[in-house]
Amino acid sequence: MIDFINFYLIPGIVLGSIYALGAIGITLTFGILRFANFAHGEMMTLGAYLTLTMMWLTGWHPLVLLPVAMVLLALVAVGVDQVFYRPFRNSPAVVVVIASFGLMLMIRSVTQFSWGAQLQAFVPGIQRPTIFFDVLRLQPKHIIIITSAIVLMGIVHYLLTHTRIGKAMRAMSDSPELARLTGIDTELVIKATWILGAATAAAAGVFLAFDSHVSTMMGFQILLPTFAAAIVGGIGRPYGAMAGGLLIGITEELSSYPWIGDVPLLSPGYKAGVSFAIMVAVLIWRPSGLFRGRVF
Amino acid sequence: MMKTFKQLALASTMLAVAGTAAFAAEIKVGSVAGVTGPIAELVVPIVAGRQLAADQINAAGGLLNGDTLTMVLADSQCDPKAGVDAGTKVVNVEQVVAIVGASCSGATNGMVQSVTIPAGVVAISDSATAPSITDLDDNDLVFRVAASDAYQGSALAQLAWNNGYRTLAMTYANDDYNAGLAGVFEVSFKALGGTITANQMHEPNKASYRSELSTLSGNGAEGLAIFAYYGGSGIAIMRNSLEAGLFEKFLAADGMFDQSVIDQIGADVLRENIMITQAASDYDDPSYLAFANAFEATGHSPQAPYAAHGYDATFLIALAIEKAGSTDRAAISAALREVANPPGVVIRPGEWAKAKAALAAGQDVNYEGAVGQNDFDDNGDVTGLFSVNVVGTDGKWTGDLIR
Amino acid sequence: MDQLYGYFLYGLSLLTFGGIYAMLTLGLNIQLGFTGLFNAGIAGFFVVGAYVSAILSTAESERHLGGFDWPIPASLVAAMLVSAVIGWAVARISIRLRADYLAIATLGIAEILRLTFKNETDLTNGARGVSYIPKPYENMPEPWNQILMAAVVLAIVAVLYFLLERARKSPWGRVMSAIRENEGSARAAGKDVDRLRVQAFVVGAAMMGLGGGMMAHYLKFIDPNAADPTTATFLVFVMLIVGGSGNNKGAILGAILMWTIWSATEIFTSMLPGDLAIRSAYVRVFLIGLMLQIMLQKFPDGLLPEKRLQSSDSR
Repeated sequence: MIDFINFYLIPGIVLGSIYALGAIGITLTFGILRFANFAHGEMMTLGAYLTLTMMWLTGWHPLVLLPVAMVLLALVAVGVDQVFYRPFRNSPAVVVVIASFGLMLMIRSVTQFSWGAQLQAFVPGIQRPTIFFDVLRLQPKHIIIITSAIVLMGIVHYLLTHTRIGKAMRAMSDSPELARLTGIDTELVIKATWILGAATAAAAGVFLAFDSHVSTMMGFQILLPTFAAAIVGGIGRPYGAMAGGLLIGITEELSSYPWIGDVPLLSPGYKAGVSFAIMVAVLIWRPSGLFRGRVF
Repeated sequence: MMKTFKQLALASTMLAVAGTAAFAAEIKVGSVAGVTGPIAELVVPIVAGRQLAADQINAAGGLLNGDTLTMVLADSQCDPKAGVDAGTKVVNVEQVVAIVGASCSGATNGMVQSVTIPAGVVAISDSATAPSITDLDDNDLVFRVAASDAYQGSALAQLAWNNGYRTLAMTYANDDYNAGLAGVFEVSFKALGGTITANQMHEPNKASYRSELSTLSGNGAEGLAIFAYYGGSGIAIMRNSLEAGLFEKFLAADGMFDQSVIDQIGADVLRENIMITQAASDYDDPSYLAFANAFEATGHSPQAPYAAHGYDATFLIALAIEKAGSTDRAAISAALREVANPPGVVIRPGEWAKAKAALAAGQDVNYEGAVGQNDFDDNGDVTGLFSVNVVGTDGKWTGDLIR
Repeated sequence: MDQLYGYFLYGLSLLTFGGIYAMLTLGLNIQLGFTGLFNAGIAGFFVVGAYVSAILSTAESERHLGGFDWPIPASLVAAMLVSAVIGWAVARISIRLRADYLAIATLGIAEILRLTFKNETDLTNGARGVSYIPKPYENMPEPWNQILMAAVVLAIVAVLYFLLERARKSPWGRVMSAIRENEGSARAAGKDVDRLRVQAFVVGAAMMGLGGGMMAHYLKFIDPNAADPTTATFLVFVMLIVGGSGNNKGAILGAILMWTIWSATEIFTSMLPGDLAIRSAYVRVFLIGLMLQIMLQKFPDGLLPEKRLQSSDSR
């Protein structure tokens, strides 16, 4: 049982927190700008590389540098929006999705060109776990990731419920026409969406890199599970994205737990398929997601 | 229609002759590699190894009548579609006389079956190790200087056995290279009398492997054999199992052989706890040292996986061109075995001037490359040497040839 | 060897690759262009078609299921049928989803299909792939083998084009564009919208299966990497959007043009020396992405925009 918690549940929660942070940005762009942003994975990667570069320059801890990386990435996102997404405000979703795909290729090649394809690590070496009550193994970095993720999600929650711009974002996600009628500055809301999306993407990228390593494909590799998290939670529902992220992360890990007998329930080769299967099931039976998000 | 081709051919040959008569010609060799795609990080030193061979040859008199050897890079992306496309481009557009490549076994399989064998272009792979390449019906046009997985898998099993391992857990990344290697290892280790307590495939490029590792460690094992690329999943697996305290001892094959494994996991943790086999060379052998010193000067590690193989494959093609005395594709293919196998004057890496002189004098040559004898068998395969590598006191890999 | 002859052979390979991609873009055009179904699971139908055709047509092998040594045309037909059946199953469960939702659902299903072919090693030889797939006319002397291969592909594309143009101008095609333009009024007019959408999805899936099968025969080798979503799904979208969604000529033009750009840009970047050539491989991808952005912004309807049907077209 304790193995279950140590090796399946806790890794699932760590992974789930990372998916959840990534899914916030996806669900916001999906809800407010109404398209699936395939470049979001590359934004996470870029956030990790920006942090890595600042670590080389300053030698500070990645968590200290994370706010700077968030600001930088938010600037990148707003700039990218002006040049590459703004012309498509009234275009059909498929065109914008294709544009985001093109952007994904562009950002990835910039990353590969600037930093090379070699793997990098934030902190070389390994971290032995701290053992609580003789049995519970927790690694300091996992505690850091989980707590920071919770704090960040709290901040996102505060911004969305207690600030003017946050309320405007939610209103626009619920009903863009109504929001426009009530005189909300849509361009401002869009800017805020990109900033919030980029900041959470930077956090997701940095935490992922903190847990494993930095590579140019890292963001793309978690993009599809992150999409799944956003859908499962319900589009336009940041809390849904958080819940969806945790759900997807934990089920992925638990799918290969030996529930029956000694062999994994499902070959780990299919682990990636688990998140898609949940996502497809949710889409079919409850397309609004767990948190009653938008259905277009 | 055929007639038109011949007229076109004639016309452009005349153009070509007119255009180049005054200069030494350029002889192109295709350098096909998975530059982008899943093993991008492994490919950089391999391409550098190929380029080093070409640079040395050009500096030491060039090919034939002082012609320049140019390596034409094409990206196979580790995808058979891209492999076929890359092969088509270098064969037809660049008119290469031979090809080194194409990195992954899948891309190589597509490229040689669909393009280079029908076109009669010889291809030497420097890193495709799948057993399926051995029995290709290839008209003696497909060679490789990287030994088939069949050799390395059993070498690693023997090594594990000799070092006292009797029960092992194993995991492999589900790709063409690692799946093949793991299959051979499992059979060989069991044949020696060892027990595989658990064997688990994993999907590369996932963020965490903790649950897989927990399952693997369930039945108790003395160590874990990892078949993975270090970047795809290898480092993540070692990190996860060490951090979770599941496995302390590791065995691995050359997809894991990279300095970044030590840099990222830590030398102290790994010392005495890891053994990696690598398709390699006798590190005391003058052939290897000749390559290693030159390659180090270009800023790359001579131990990078398959970099020495890239060098040897390119050097062999150059020797075959020189031996054939022309850039005719069929003549090059015919000459390749002669320059690689004994008898003949022994040529080592970097000894291009010596080779050129010997060939000009009508002597046979026998290339003894950085990775070993490079003697091709009837299938165009080499036996290959393997080294066992451990972490040295300086925090670098140190290897010993398996004898 | 001669340079011009080489260009000629490379041109044939561009036409063959482009033609195979045209089968995929035409299939996508029925779904997205005609009916408005945003299917992002092209790679799934591609991989199904490729493996079905490969396993049926290869000689018996101990590495994978079969092979059954079927003639190529028969195995291609089987590839279409199996893709169509899977397309039907996918459509049945997901056809009611709108736009992006359908895209993400199909993207997920395609990944599950690809993982299945990758993991069921006993059936497909897993990641190690299927070799010795027969290629049409491969025993003819060069250049005839390549000319005939390209001709077969282009002939299939021509037949598909002809059939699709007929379908587009038929009452069926008119109902399809009516559904895409205004679903509500199509429903009000008593059309069984879901049923018609499933039909369009299945036909498109069959064509994608055909494209996958053709690709397997052309490459003579197939492995799961060949169905990577970047080159088997996204690239197809790029081709259709650049060519002109809703226009069959545009779909074919986009496929051949974009494949040519995708492939031929490398000829220039590989001229750079040493390390720069490797880095320029990344730049090439950047330029392709940038070109796509410019295309989308300057020619949002593609090079050959859709021609709206006039009432006089009906006969």
